[in-house]
Formats: sequence, structure tokens, C-alpha cells
Amino acid sequence: MLYDVKLKLSYTYDAPVSGGRHLVRVFPVSLPNIQRVIASSLHLEPGPAENSEFADFFGSRVASLAYRSAHDALEIAMTARVEVFRTPMNVSNAPDSLTLAEQIAATWDMGWRSPHHYLSTSPRIVLTADITQYARQSLTATSDVFAAATDFCMRIHRDFAYDGEATLVDTPVTEAFSLRRGVCQDFAHIMIAGLRGLGIPAGYVSGFLRTIPPEGQPRLEGADAMHAWVKVWCGSQIGWVEFDPTNAMQAGPDHIVIGYGRDYSDVTPIVGILRSAGGQDTTQAVDVIEVN
Amino acid sequence: MPDLISAYRPISGVPDEMVAPDGTVRPGWLGFMSALDRLGPEELTARFQRSDQYLRDAGVFYRMYEGSQQGEREWPLAHIPLLIADEEWQQIEVGLTERAELLESVLADIYGENNLIREGLLPPELVAANPEFLRPMVGIRPMSGHHLHFCAFELGRGPDGRWWVLGDRTQAPSGAGFALENRVATTRALADIYSTLHVKRLAGFFRDFRNALTDMGGNGSGRVAILTPGPLNETYFEHAYIARYLGFLLVEGEDLVVLHGEVMVRTVSGLKPISVLWRRLDGDFTDPLELRQESQIGTPGLAEAVRRGSVGFVNSLGSGLLETRALGAFLPAIAQSRLGRDLMLPNIATWWCGGAEARAYVRNNIENMMIGPALSTILSIDDDGETQDAGQLSDSERAALLARIDADPKVFAAQETVKLSTAPVYVGGTLEPRPITLRIYAARTPNGWSIMPGGFARVGYSLDTAAIAMQRGGQAADVWVVSKTPVEKVSLLTSANKTIERNPSGNLPSRAADNLIWLGRYAERCEATVRLLRAWHLRLAETGTENLPLFEATREYLEPLGIDTAEPVPQGLLAIIDGAVRSASEIRDRFSPDGWLALTDLQKTANRFAKTIKPGDDATRAMTVLLRKLAGFSGLVHENMYRFAGWRFLEIGRRLERSIQIAEIASWLCGEDAPDGATEMLLEVGDSVMTHRRRYGYGHGNLGVIELLITDPLNPRSVMFQMSELLEQLKELPRGYVDGQLSPAAKATLKLQTELAVADVEDITPQMLLDMVMGIYNVSDLIAEAYF
Repeated sequence: MLYDVKLKLSYTYDAPVSGGRHLVRVFPVSLPNIQRVIASSLHLEPGPAENSEFADFFGSRVASLAYRSAHDALEIAMTARVEVFRTPMNVSNAPDSLTLAEQIAATWDMGWRSPHHYLSTSPRIVLTADITQYARQSLTATSDVFAAATDFCMRIHRDFAYDGEATLVDTPVTEAFSLRRGVCQDFAHIMIAGLRGLGIPAGYVSGFLRTIPPEGQPRLEGADAMHAWVKVWCGSQIGWVEFDPTNAMQAGPDHIVIGYGRDYSDVTPIVGILRSAGGQDTTQAVDVIEVN
Repeated sequence: MPDLISAYRPISGVPDEMVAPDGTVRPGWLGFMSALDRLGPEELTARFQRSDQYLRDAGVFYRMYEGSQQGEREWPLAHIPLLIADEEWQQIEVGLTERAELLESVLADIYGENNLIREGLLPPELVAANPEFLRPMVGIRPMSGHHLHFCAFELGRGPDGRWWVLGDRTQAPSGAGFALENRVATTRALADIYSTLHVKRLAGFFRDFRNALTDMGGNGSGRVAILTPGPLNETYFEHAYIARYLGFLLVEGEDLVVLHGEVMVRTVSGLKPISVLWRRLDGDFTDPLELRQESQIGTPGLAEAVRRGSVGFVNSLGSGLLETRALGAFLPAIAQSRLGRDLMLPNIATWWCGGAEARAYVRNNIENMMIGPALSTILSIDDDGETQDAGQLSDSERAALLARIDADPKVFAAQETVKLSTAPVYVGGTLEPRPITLRIYAARTPNGWSIMPGGFARVGYSLDTAAIAMQRGGQAADVWVVSKTPVEKVSLLTSANKTIERNPSGNLPSRAADNLIWLGRYAERCEATVRLLRAWHLRLAETGTENLPLFEATREYLEPLGIDTAEPVPQGLLAIIDGAVRSASEIRDRFSPDGWLALTDLQKTANRFAKTIKPGDDATRAMTVLLRKLAGFSGLVHENMYRFAGWRFLEIGRRLERSIQIAEIASWLCGEDAPDGATEMLLEVGDSVMTHRRRYGYGHGNLGVIELLITDPLNPRSVMFQMSELLEQLKELPRGYVDGQLSPAAKATLKLQTELAVADVEDITPQMLLDMVMGIYNVSDLIAEAYF
């Protein structure tokens, strides 16, 4: 599938901001067997005093921006053409959790894909007995970690209500879990916390999702969304498989990856330190348009 | 044999630093104790009190976090130094140098090529799950080429008589400044004995490290700064002390800004480059953008500056990883692999329960183990929160602990229970043994690692090894490395073959300047308030009633300022003094210890008065005492502070506040409806009674008073005088005069001054005075705009 992805993030500030620094992670990156980025660009309004790029530990492409003059609004527009190759996997030979533990212990590697980074607490993930116990039900019927992850992904979709009002971007995973509601970020965090509690490596995926309009209705401008899902390590043979608990599915041809991390904090689309007194308003518009 | 030694009873089976197992006295101690004997108990007590007095006067303190004693605590000096023979010390030096190099290579590998993990010498879990592993720093080579520049090691002597490392401090080791203070305080009492023993000096270590840091910045204009979390940190005193001692800038995160990957400090002369940061906060707190997002004490962009190689950190961000307790389990094998031998100074035996063999060993020997979190960076002996001495547990407690380990073995590490040697402390005329550990500092210099020769031992308050922690009442002692031959005498001040290096002036951080202004303002506000209160109580004592219009009016004037005249020493006054102390505490590095002492003495006195003083006569006298103490503080500042920009800001603060106070009080006391006695009171508050009497006798009424306190250019209390002084100071500030143009603040001051100069005394109305006050506030805003 070939897509044109457009993202527009708009910030308006209550009081003019005298300056600030931002790290922006919104570029899709090329990933073997998943996607290839053909072209991408970033447009900023107003233009920043500093604009440079670097690749972070997890391979994300990060734009580092600095503003020094006063402004009361900021618009970040990213466009990219991306080819997505992947389709959901059918896996039958996944290890059981004991074998998985052995395979983890036999992995003497510290690159960002190493399962070791995705096993313990991280800035937004705490491991609690409650969440682990909830996740463990997915391991009772099967010992196959792929099957368990698939089951857990479906159960989160079934047990949790999608509710954009219930949580905020900084709601702790424990609170979303007890509320039994939230958005894609919350579901991803819950799935990660649950799997890590079981000793199964799980990481956070930030990206875009193409939404297909209901039959007979036109596609709405800006109706697609930034999205978050989960990657699960299913042993040294299979490696990472991506699950989308919000939509009860594996990541497939409609999922476009921006980057990976241990949790949201590693791959936050925009991190900003502002010199400002007031609050801010944010709007976000995403278009993922298939190119024929 | 000196009496002090013959009466000393070391504990059988425990090594002692003074008396060897065979009963002989170790080198150095005999002469030292004979000298103490000769002084006798009375003289000794008097001398030790001199040490304590020195520490109090110098304001040496550290901050307690726990329990009922929260707050600042005086430095607990154990007066008897610990003596160590130079021969033994040299072995420690060689061992620590080797150890520091190995730690450097381990850290470089973890953030670099990762061979240790690939070769199975280090479990990846210990790194990946470690909050001290800072992923943004992976793959970055430090600007200086090295990660570690300043480390501390905690050493204890085991029952076998060997020294063992109890912990490596690589994050941001504290205490080197306290070591210096230990030395100064101890030698205050024992100078004569110190000079007869050949004790190695500490100053050379600091001189070498200062030069190394200056060199590290390269030939550029970049400076070295000490990055502190601020006055609330437990060892802030030491940060300020070291900064003052070495002549480095002391900065907080908000003083810094990163421009195009270069670190700059905001100073009153504009942005100045910084190329070396000796950090005293944990690495992850330095940058809220890329590291710990909730950090309030960092600077956005510092990680980027590191990535670009434009700033060097002492130590590199992420170096805290080496403090991880479980790492000690793997250092012996790493040493074997990398050095081909055991470390000369090994750490105490450590096991990581994540390994099956190690777990089995811990299980079988649990009664000799301290067990706690694998990733803890606290020494086992200091960690009474999470680390348990399994030998002290009941059978059921031990079984529960083992069950917890089996459930999640990777999060546990065990260490051999620490047994320490003892050293003598002086208790009520005799010596008693107490457990000790050494804290030894190592600094990287162009000629290799330099080890501070002594300075700091921790001494337990009881025989329990866990009684070492300073937070729980342990003490600190100086450590004297005693040589058989005379030692080199060094001082930071003299370096014969070098030209004098001057620190560039004008690098006053903006935050420090802001605090200096506020210190000046609070001190002046305090004085005005005390004078007004004294006038009030004097009249109260004279008249015996508060039912006079003047009292009524004074009350109405003071109330909005938060001063309640019903209290003889009002809470509002104490709050003003607290404000002065708070501002001063932010700039301890620019402030003489005497000035600090004068200020805290004022604070203590005022608080004591608040509990006991009665209205009237009593309060009049109390206010006179406070005034005298304030004058002492002002005098110290005026006579002792070098006329750097810092002093000018302090002076500006004073002038601003004094002019505001006088103009406001005058506008209120000189109105047409001013109560009887108002002008006399104004003269008292303006400290101009005598001058007025001499110039005008008893006539002339209001006009004379107005002239004297508002427009007289020679009265140091007049508003006019304040404006002239203010103008002078503003001109002298950096950027005070640019291309023949006065700065906006100076211009505005000149306008006010001119207005007063041309005004006729008869035309000065209360409204004009209030306008004047608004004008002065405007000057204050313009200063803030230009410099902060």
C-alpha cells in the first residue's frame, strides 16, 4: 500500500511564549519488512531559530527545535509518502513462556531491538499485581506467548471502553486500568504492563492509522489519527509482532510506524519546554490517503 | 605509653586503627597521643570547642531529610583525626587508581561497544532495567574522552586486616569540601601537633583538579561551572564552598541556556559560554527535554550539547550506573578478563540473585548476608530502608525473604555483612573504639588519577556498623596521612612558577544578581521596619497608651505591610528577615562566612525575642539590639565585599528599598492631616534627628524635615542621596553605559534625581512622593528587564 500521510499539529498559547525548545517525533522511518519512507518533510510556522535532526536510541528521527522570539501559536506540519508492506502474521510455532525466558537470557545484546529493554518498569509503566493478574488469564488456556498476546489484545478491546474524555495524556497506567476506559495510549500501556508482568517483552509503538470510512460515506478530511499500539517479543525465531489492542487486531497495512519506545515517554510526538505563564490549546489533524 | 592509649580498650577480634592485633601501637599514634596527654583533659576540651566554634562560625552544615531533626544540622566533627601511615596509604592510592581505571573502561564499554555484555561478563538485565542507564547517552564519546573525572570510594577494613571497597561513588560524589573543613577545624584545635607530625596536605589535590578542569575546557573562552540543584540540597553548603575555594562559577539549571548546542550561562553581562560542568545533581535531572521530563532543576538542551561534544560533564551523564550494587558481583571477573588479575582493592563480596549459582550460595549462607535491591545505589550499611541484615532476622522472616527472592530473583543482590575496624573517639576524657569507614576522593588530572591524601572518615555513634550513616547521627573525622619525612606544603594561593590567573569579572549569573538585589532590599526593609517599631514602643513607654492619633496612623501604615503592632516582635518582621536569609542562602558562594554568620545571628536573635519581649521599654531595647546587629551585617558587607558587580547589585537593592521606604513614610507623615508628633517620628525612622537639630535647631517644622530627608544631597538617608548612589552604581554595571548612552534604568534614575534637584521644598506634596515611589519601582523593573 502506498500512502500520503499528512499531520498538522497546532498549538495556541493563552499568553505569548517567549521561547522554548521542542523535540518532535512525527516522521515515519523506513523499517525492514514493514514500511519504506519515500519522502518526508516538516514545515514549521513560525520558523524556529534552531532546527536540527538526530536519531535517538530507538532509531526514531527527531527534530530538535528552538524558539527565541515571542509567539502565541505554533504549527507543525509533516508530510510523507510511505509504502507499507506488512500483513498480519499467522504464527504457529511461538515458544511457551519458560522457553521465552531462556531465549531472553540467551540474548546478549543491548541494541534497541533487544528484548531486555522492554521487560521492567519504565517512566510510564509500573508493574502491579492487579494488572499482572488480569494479564495472566491469557496464559491459562495456552502457554504459547503469541497466542497469549493475541488473546490479551482481544480481551483489552472487550473489557475496556474507548472514551476520549476519561483520561489525559499523562494519566497513569494504573488509573486507566481501574477506570476500565481510555484511548489507544492507555490500552497500549495496559497491554505493555500486563505482558511485562508475565515476563513477556512488550514495547510502545507510535504511528498513524488509516481509517476507512463506512460503506457509502465519503472520507472526512483530517479524520485519521495519530495512533499507538504495542510490539511483543515472541521469541528469537519470530521476533517482534505488533498488536493493536484499540482495534483488536495485529498491526497491518493500515498501520504506519513513527517509532518505538519502552512507553509513550520515549516516543512522545512533541516534547516541549516553554517559557510561558499560561496554558495552551492543541489541535491535531491527520490524513492518510491511499495513492493509486 | 601515653595514658590515653594504655586506658584504651579495643574490641577483641576487631581490627583497630590505633592498636594492632599484637598490642603494638600503629605508626604515628604514639607521638600524637603523647601530645594529647600532655595537654590534659581541660585544655583538650577547650581546644575541641574551638574546632566546633570554627565550624559554627564558618556556617558548615548539611541538611537532614529524615525524622524529627529535618533541616540544617551542624557538621558533626569527631575531634580525633584518624592517623594512617603513608606506606599503607600509598597502597590504597595504587589500588584506587587501578580501580578507577577499570570503572572508566566498564562505563565506556556500556555506553559504547558493549563487549562486556556480548562476552557474558555483565548481564544485560542489570543495564537495561537500570534507571541510571541513560539511553540518550549511548554511543556518545565524552568531550574530554573520559567519562569519569571525580570519584569517591567508601572503604572499610575487614576482619582480615585488608581494606575493602564498600561502594564506588561515580554519580556526583559529595563531601570533598567537607574534608577540607574537617582539616581546617581539626587543625584549629591541634595546630601545634599537626605541624610536628608530617601530615600530607590536601590543597595540592584541589589545585591539581582545578587545573585539570580548566584544561579540560581547552583553550577556548569557555568556563568551568559547578552545577548545583540549589540551596535545598543536603550538601549545598559544600557546593558553594568548593565553588568559592576553587574560583569556579556556581550555577543552577535555570542559569544555563543552550544555543545551537553550546551551553551558555546567563550573566549580568549577557550570555557567556560554559565548556565544563561539574555537576552535583544526578545525570537524569540535568535535561528535562531528553532525560527526566519532570525535572525542575535541569536545563533543556544539555543532552544535545553533550551529543555535539561542546560541553564536558564531570562525570558524564549516565555515570551513576557504576554505583549499582549488583555490579559488584561482576567486577572481579571483569578485572580478571581485562587486567588479567584480581583488583588490588576489591569490593566486598557481592552476589546478584539473578544467577542460579549465586542464588544458591546466598541461600546457603544467608545468615552472613545483607540483602537488598540489586539496582540500589545506596551502600548496604547506609540503607536501613530496603536492605536487611539477614543475620538479624528470625527464622520465619528469613524464610519470607527467601520466598521473595525466589519469586523475583533478579531484583535482589546480597552482600557479605560488613564488619569494620574501629578507631578511637574522645568521649569524656577517655578514648573509646568506634567503627569507621574511609571516604577517599580521586580526581583525574593530565598526569593520571590524583588521590586526596586523607581528609574524611565516617565514625559510628555506637559500635554497630550500621551506625555510620551521617543521616542517623554518625560523625566525621579528619584523616591524617602521616609520612616519616617532611611533606610538601601547598596552598591554592601560592604557585611560584605560574603567573597570577584572574577570574574574569562580569560573569555574575543573573540569578545571583537578582538574589543580591533582594538581599539588599530585605536588609533595608528590615531596618526601616525596626526603626518604626522602635519609635512606636518608645512612645508607648513614654505615654503608656496606644490611644493617640499617631499610634492609630502608624498601625494603619504598618498593617498592609504585614506588620501587626500588637506583637512586640511581629511575625511580619521575622518574615522579612527570613527573606534576607533565603536570598543570602542562594548566593553562599559570593558571601563571606562572617556576613552569613551576622545575618543568621540576627535571625536567631529576632526569633528568640519574639518569644519573650514585652511591649514598651522591653521592645524598644530589643529593637535597638536588632538595629545594632543589622548595622553589623551592613558594615561587614560594606567593608569586606570586593567591588565586583555582585556588591553593586546588593547596593542597588539597598538604595532602591531605602528610597522607597523614606518616600512612602514621608508621604504619609507629612500630609496636611498628619498626626501630632509625625515629623519627629519621621526623623527617627530616617535616623536624622541629630542632623536636623544641628541644622535647624527646633524650628522650621515640616519643611526642614522634608528638605533633610527628601532633597538634601548630603544626607545619606535622603531620597536624593539614594538616587545619586543608585545612578553611580547603575553606570558602573556591565552595559551601564553603551556608546555614551546610559542604560534605560540609569536614564530613569537620572530623571528622578533631576526632578528632586530642581524641586522647591515647598512644592513637595505627598502625591509627588507617591509618584516618586512609582518611578523607583519602574527603575527596579528596568533593572530586572536588562539583567535577569
